[in-house]
Amino acid sequence: MRALIAATAVGTSLVVAVLSGQGAVPRAADGKPDLTGVWQGGSTQRGNWEEANGGTGVGGTGRNPTAPVVLSTNDRPAGREGAPYQDWAAKKVLEAYNRRGIDDPAGHCLPGGVPRSVILGLFPQQFVQTPKQIIILYEYMHTFRVIPIGGTHPDDFIPSYMGNSVAHWEGDTLVVDAIGFNDKTWLSGTGTFHSEDLHVTERYTRVDKDRIDYEVTMEDPKVLTKPWKLTSSLMLREGTRLEEYICAENNLDPARYEQLLKAGVKITR
Amino acid sequence: MERRKSGVGVLLVVLLLSAFPSAHHSFGAEYDANNPITLTGVLTNIEWTNPHSHFYLDVKDSTGKVVNWKFEGYPPAVLFRTGWKRDATMKPGDTITVFGWRARDGGNWAHSREITVPDGRKMFFGPPAGTGDGGNTPAVEVK
Repeated sequence: MRALIAATAVGTSLVVAVLSGQGAVPRAADGKPDLTGVWQGGSTQRGNWEEANGGTGVGGTGRNPTAPVVLSTNDRPAGREGAPYQDWAAKKVLEAYNRRGIDDPAGHCLPGGVPRSVILGLFPQQFVQTPKQIIILYEYMHTFRVIPIGGTHPDDFIPSYMGNSVAHWEGDTLVVDAIGFNDKTWLSGTGTFHSEDLHVTERYTRVDKDRIDYEVTMEDPKVLTKPWKLTSSLMLREGTRLEEYICAENNLDPARYEQLLKAGVKITR
Repeated sequence: MERRKSGVGVLLVVLLLSAFPSAHHSFGAEYDANNPITLTGVLTNIEWTNPHSHFYLDVKDSTGKVVNWKFEGYPPAVLFRTGWKRDATMKPGDTITVFGWRARDGGNWAHSREITVPDGRKMFFGPPAGTGDGGNTPAVEVK
């Protein structure tokens, strides 16, 4: 019966892929979708990195002034509802916005956290999948997640920037459950802080060869009024390799903000 | 067939509007999106460094005096992935034209967006104005 269900699932995704003119979802030896590859978050464009980003310019209009402006993870996309922060916490988020993001932890070369590291598109991320674990390498800030499939969270851990993640399969969707975060990252948008109680549930569904649909739910009863859900997508970038990104090499920005503020230059809203 | 095509187009627009790719330090805090500038000059140095690349340009001011300007843009890997070549696309001694936005303190420092390189191509070197500063709408509703 299980084999029949698996065969039906494979057949259905194949039909969908063929109908939409896209390549079929690659499968691992165990029949699960194989997410292995180098991906670009926050994009819907097919093609290699240069095809998908060169013409329009990463994050904006670039060489094609008619192309839509693509937003930063610090920006709230048009049409997205406000993040469900408790009143006191919303005031804190707004303060960071009015300071134009100069308090961004990433401005000090600290890790991007989750889901920010997943949905940002300026830097690639690499998935390495085995039957028992999935490893995700992020070029941005040189972070990684080693995620056991079918594993459980440890009883105790030191809160960290990228948290503690475990995964399981629900049909063709890889569901990642992440806890154990420190409170030093932003989620998605300027000032979107959280507490150490953050619980992130991510759903990765490879819908065709080129694309993973990404759905993330953030729960944090200390700062949010209800779960905060966002959707995005990751696009396959064949031929792209992760490069070095040593952010601390020449990070002039924090000193520059301080210099401008000291000189009385208005840099806030 | 035509109907199907337009459906795909609408879907694409919706998806593009929901995308949120880049991320980094606040260009919008350091540089004034209301103060664009276009300068032509001679490239004197390029720093291919993280988290941001910089380059320097000798530009003649209105009195004919040469002033050295500093420009900031994307990290090297981001640029090389989209077609930049070190010591080839542009190099010291080349004359280039840069479009960007001036530093908020009015100094000879700017955020570079688009460069017209010696072979005539227009290449982006940095993100749009205001990148990283939170955009036009805060993440939460304003009460």
